Amino acid sequence: MRRCAAFRLITALCLLFLYLPIVILVVNSFNASRFGSVWGGFSLHWYRALLANERVWQALVNTLLVALVATLVATVLGTLAAFALHRYHSRWQQLHYALVYAPLVVPDVLLGMSLLLLFVHLGVSLGLTTIMLAHTSFCISYVAMVVLARLQDFDFSIIEAAQDLGAGWWTILWRVFLPLLAPGILAGSLLAFTLSLDDFVISFFTAGPGSTTLPIQIYSMMRHGTPPVINALSTLLLVLTFAVVFAVQRLTKGKLQ
Amino acid sequence: MKSVLLMMVTLLALCGCEKDKPVLHLYTWSDYIKPELVQQFEAEQGCRVVMDFFDSNEAMFAKLKAGATGYDLIFPSSYMVAIMQQQNMLQPLDHSRLPNLKHIDPVYLRFTEDEAMHHSVPYMVSNAGIGYLKSRVADFEPSWTMFGRADLAGRMTLLNDMRETLGAALKTLGYSLNTVNEQELTEARDLVIAWKRNIAKFETDQYKNGLVSAEFLLVHGYNGDIQQTMEENEDIGYALPREGGSIASDDMVIPQGAQQVELAHAFIDFIHRPEVAAQNIAYVYFLSPNLAAYALLPDEVRADPTIFVPQELLGKCEPIRDLGADNALYSKIWDQIKAAD
Repeated sequence: MRRCAAFRLITALCLLFLYLPIVILVVNSFNASRFGSVWGGFSLHWYRALLANERVWQALVNTLLVALVATLVATVLGTLAAFALHRYHSRWQQLHYALVYAPLVVPDVLLGMSLLLLFVHLGVSLGLTTIMLAHTSFCISYVAMVVLARLQDFDFSIIEAAQDLGAGWWTILWRVFLPLLAPGILAGSLLAFTLSLDDFVISFFTAGPGSTTLPIQIYSMMRHGTPPVINALSTLLLVLTFAVVFAVQRLTKGKLQ
Repeated sequence: MKSVLLMMVTLLALCGCEKDKPVLHLYTWSDYIKPELVQQFEAEQGCRVVMDFFDSNEAMFAKLKAGATGYDLIFPSSYMVAIMQQQNMLQPLDHSRLPNLKHIDPVYLRFTEDEAMHHSVPYMVSNAGIGYLKSRVADFEPSWTMFGRADLAGRMTLLNDMRETLGAALKTLGYSLNTVNEQELTEARDLVIAWKRNIAKFETDQYKNGLVSAEFLLVHGYNGDIQQTMEENEDIGYALPREGGSIASDDMVIPQGAQQVELAHAFIDFIHRPEVAAQNIAYVYFLSPNLAAYALLPDEVRADPTIFVPQELLGKCEPIRDLGADNALYSKIWDQIKAAD
């Protein structure tokens, strides 16, 4: 019983450690003072400032656009890569594995700088497209790794059973294989989406005129700007995320029943 | 999924409108210009202004050096302008297109790396001084020697920046803050070590929070930062020490490869139109060194010590210059300070 209480305490402390910063951020978004160290009274001032700040909204649109496109493309390519890596074992696949794995361990600065040099040498003009390409390239790796882990637990005799029962490859793909793999693919794409959303270094180097993303905007605001506006924006995004998660849970629940 | 695609296509279409107008691309710091002025410029010139932001001179330089193009006007700090000029990354300015340069306050040109404005024009200047709580610091004197005062022990911070903090000590001793004389630097080192024993810590980022919450009573900081804390707490005062200090300038430059050279010139000239410069000072709360603009400012701005450096102190202030190989000397002294107890 004592042990149980100790574990409970550890769990509570971990959760506190994870969520306290977010709570502080939400509280500070209503703080009239721009400095987190004092409470200047309750105020919606930062939300009003946020509404009036077109640059932040433009940056948010840019960020979401990049994250959506990069996630979609990376999910498809990453899943295909994971399948190839799992199904075939040859020397070329070992090289393939190393190449897919590399972006996970290569520092962002290196990745960003080399992509910038590549785009410059190819004469591609920098902009949203180049950020999307860059994000797709590192997102593929994350999706591939997550899906690969799922594939390693995959029981391929199910596929054989489906074939025995007369299913064609199209049916097997859509009715058996993908539904079973879906949690892995979803987890991979969510990870990719999150990473793309908050990437600063690679975005900074591959961004061109008119394609400032939210992280770039936030870093630059540290010097002259009003960072509390970002507290307000983060709170809104947080509410949105919780709403989406809640909605998804409700919807899937309905389906199961 | 279809609706997402549709949304994206719509967004792309929205981004693509107004393509016929010329576009001026600025690469600058966030919130560093009054937004209405940009709109006014767009209306006057029949163009669109797109702004992108960087968070450090070094990152901006690395990106441009690697070959990134598309920016027509950049706002780096003066020391970085000097480096970019050495690397042939800047275009010479056509003064015939910049009639408003005649308004520029010549006093401040001394703090840039390009006094003739051959390839850069000062945009805003800032300085480092002392912010303090008026009601809590008895007998405040505008002097760096405050950091030695025993009654404030443990409640003060110095900038965690070797050039700024050693610079303050060098100024206190009456030397140049760009000195490379080892004897002078050793004296400055001993002074900073004495201060170090008396202060809470070296702090560059959190001193604003500390000052507002009265955790710190007196801090070494930048005028723009202290100005932000003053909006929260009327008890905060700011002064540039009588021994002098550092003044830094952010400049406007046109990089090689700029597409809209003519519009970029027009923007520089627009910024230094006196009424525009005055509005910009009142909004950004840094000094745009434009003599004719000063008279157009409201009295309270004109009298604000965080913006205007007292005339008699200007001669004692210096810009922090890039010392090239001699930077190692400062690093060595700074390491000794950090290691001392």
